[in-house]
Amino acid sequence: MTLVGKKSFIVMTLLIPVLILLVGCVPVLLAYVNNSADTSVTRIAVIDETGRYAGALKNNTNYRFVPLSGQNVKNPHDFYKAAGESLDAVIVIPADVENSQQVSLYSEKTMGQNILSYVTRCLNDTLRNAKIAAMGDPELLSKMEQAQVETQVKSIKWDEKGDEQEQSAGLASVIGMVLAFLTYTFVLSYGAMIMNSVVEEKTNRIVEVIVSSCRPMELMMGKIIGVGLVGLTQFAIWVVLLSIGSAILGLVGGASMVANPEAVTAGMNLPGEAGAAGAISEINTAIASINWLSLLGNFVVYFIGGYLLYASLFAGFGSAVDQASDSSQFTMPIILVMVIALYAGIACIENPNGPMAEWCSIIPFTSPVVMMVRLPFDVPWWQLLLSIVLLYATALGCIWLSARIYRTGILLYGKKRSFKEVLKWVR
Amino acid sequence: MNFIDVNDVVKQYDGHLALDHVDLHVPQGCIYGLLGPNGAGKTSLIRIINRITRADSGTVMINGKPLEDKDITNIGYLPEERGLYKKIKVADEIVYLARLKGMPKKIALSEMEKWLERFELTEWKGRKVEELSKGMQQKVQFITTVIHRPQLLIFDEPFSGFDPVNAEQLKREIMQLRDEGSTILFSTHNMASVEEICEQITLINHSRVVLEGRVDEVKQRYKKNLFVVNVADGAVVQAQESLFEVVPDALQQGTVIKLCKGVTLRDTIAWLNEHYTLTGITEQLPSMNEIFIETVQNK
Repeated sequence: MTLVGKKSFIVMTLLIPVLILLVGCVPVLLAYVNNSADTSVTRIAVIDETGRYAGALKNNTNYRFVPLSGQNVKNPHDFYKAAGESLDAVIVIPADVENSQQVSLYSEKTMGQNILSYVTRCLNDTLRNAKIAAMGDPELLSKMEQAQVETQVKSIKWDEKGDEQEQSAGLASVIGMVLAFLTYTFVLSYGAMIMNSVVEEKTNRIVEVIVSSCRPMELMMGKIIGVGLVGLTQFAIWVVLLSIGSAILGLVGGASMVANPEAVTAGMNLPGEAGAAGAISEINTAIASINWLSLLGNFVVYFIGGYLLYASLFAGFGSAVDQASDSSQFTMPIILVMVIALYAGIACIENPNGPMAEWCSIIPFTSPVVMMVRLPFDVPWWQLLLSIVLLYATALGCIWLSARIYRTGILLYGKKRSFKEVLKWVR
Repeated sequence: MNFIDVNDVVKQYDGHLALDHVDLHVPQGCIYGLLGPNGAGKTSLIRIINRITRADSGTVMINGKPLEDKDITNIGYLPEERGLYKKIKVADEIVYLARLKGMPKKIALSEMEKWLERFELTEWKGRKVEELSKGMQQKVQFITTVIHRPQLLIFDEPFSGFDPVNAEQLKREIMQLRDEGSTILFSTHNMASVEEICEQITLINHSRVVLEGRVDEVKQRYKKNLFVVNVADGAVVQAQESLFEVVPDALQQGTVIKLCKGVTLRDTIAWLNEHYTLTGITEQLPSMNEIFIETVQNK
């Protein structure tokens, strides 16, 4: 009851999705701002000593190139001065550009990376084609284009009937990792929340009043379930806000992408429109290939099991300390196991069906995290079943154990207890 | 009829015997003192009556029936170590704890208003508990203990932390709750308050009941044949070997005498009248404080 009303909690609930969205779209946003905020057109005079390449520099919304004949200008600086405000920079394409592969950009202001890479891109193709043409084989260009190789490995999965289904290992790994991280952070942060709440009630001494109104077991389970539901609610709010937010961003982003594709792709260094579209369709087929229903279903099952297991341990050992500052001796081992689980999960991405992944996804203390990594890669049903049964059995065991510690611990004050003493209370 | 009957209760913690075959019989509508030095076992006994812990053996009856989980809604408990959620509003705290005792929200709200007014806390109900002074927090705690109108109230050192004015108010409230039919179990080592409000007591020492009964009866049992004698004209009463000796007691207005064995009060008064102008004689009963110290130190 004290948690949900807190301002900090409400602020966190609303702020986190905004933060995630921000972090997610910062690169796009930056690229966009970078390219569009600069609405003034940069005018660049092109002194082409070869007389052949000035045309390669195409004007666009940001840059306007003014070709000049090379002979007229002896000194770029004088020319620049004479032009005054109407000119921002001067490009000199030297006569030996085919050999030196170097052009110079003069200006009084420092010019950004954008213009440099734009000029490079424009000249590269033209110069290369000119070089190829100079070799005297008219078919060389088309031969070279034919010879260009970009190998792609298509991962195809058979289902039981032998039907083929395309899948994306990359996407599966990413999803697995995201779920594993979610479980890890959720269990740890809400576990710590429960522990704090237990310790707070004990330091407040209100616990004696509360347990004179309900049984310690009820108080502990109420706390675990309550905080869990708060967490799930928070989680649901995040999902809703995130999807609304990303939909809005998608619309805005999409619109700007249509209006100004060059700016966005240039800023993000994407291979180009065609490449981007290809990647997106690839992601789409990969997304379609994943069985979302069973993935999310299993996620929730593991999530709840893992949460119950660790939350009850946090509650039980939290009851053994008088002050939050004393709790580290009990939280350390719990957190350590969680960290091991996370690292095991990360390691299992490389080989999600290897022996370590199998073992760690069956051992109940690591399975809620490690199984997340394996879930997108179709785990054998018997392993899944075994792991879930073990997880819930262990969770129930931990609840039982913690309840026994809790009911003694909350009423004992005074000296710091050792791990051994606390375990004695179980009897 | 007894409201609480604790019969032969034993409780052991980690090799330490906290309650050793303890009996406690609290009549309905009585203010009953549960006395004893620190660590005697009072809190252990209270926690068993509260169903916070269970007795290893023995029975606890409430209103003639064995104590059950549902009975706790009929108990109000003010623990010695006071505790409230500090970060929430006074009104929320009171309503929450009342509802935890099974009180419907609507009734809890209206009852809360009554109690806040009685303790002049109405203007504080929207404030966080941590903003209140310690005395006010104690009052809030008291309200949370009694708001659900339990038939049994257990107060553990209720007066600690109250100034004399507030303590007096609290005493009046406790008396009134008793008059309205509540049975009150009152644990303390403040013997002055025991004399003021308790009708019966049980004294626990070293996990055992060492003394129990009505306060006046216990005092009679422990009386030492002491009388305070007042005589006219500022005369000084001297000891009379066959009848009484004088006990030095600077605190009394008059002379304290102790009758010798077998001597009656009648004879003594006759003798005093002969030799002095007797203006008054009152029996000096031992204070609960003296009885407490004597009992605890002797056993």
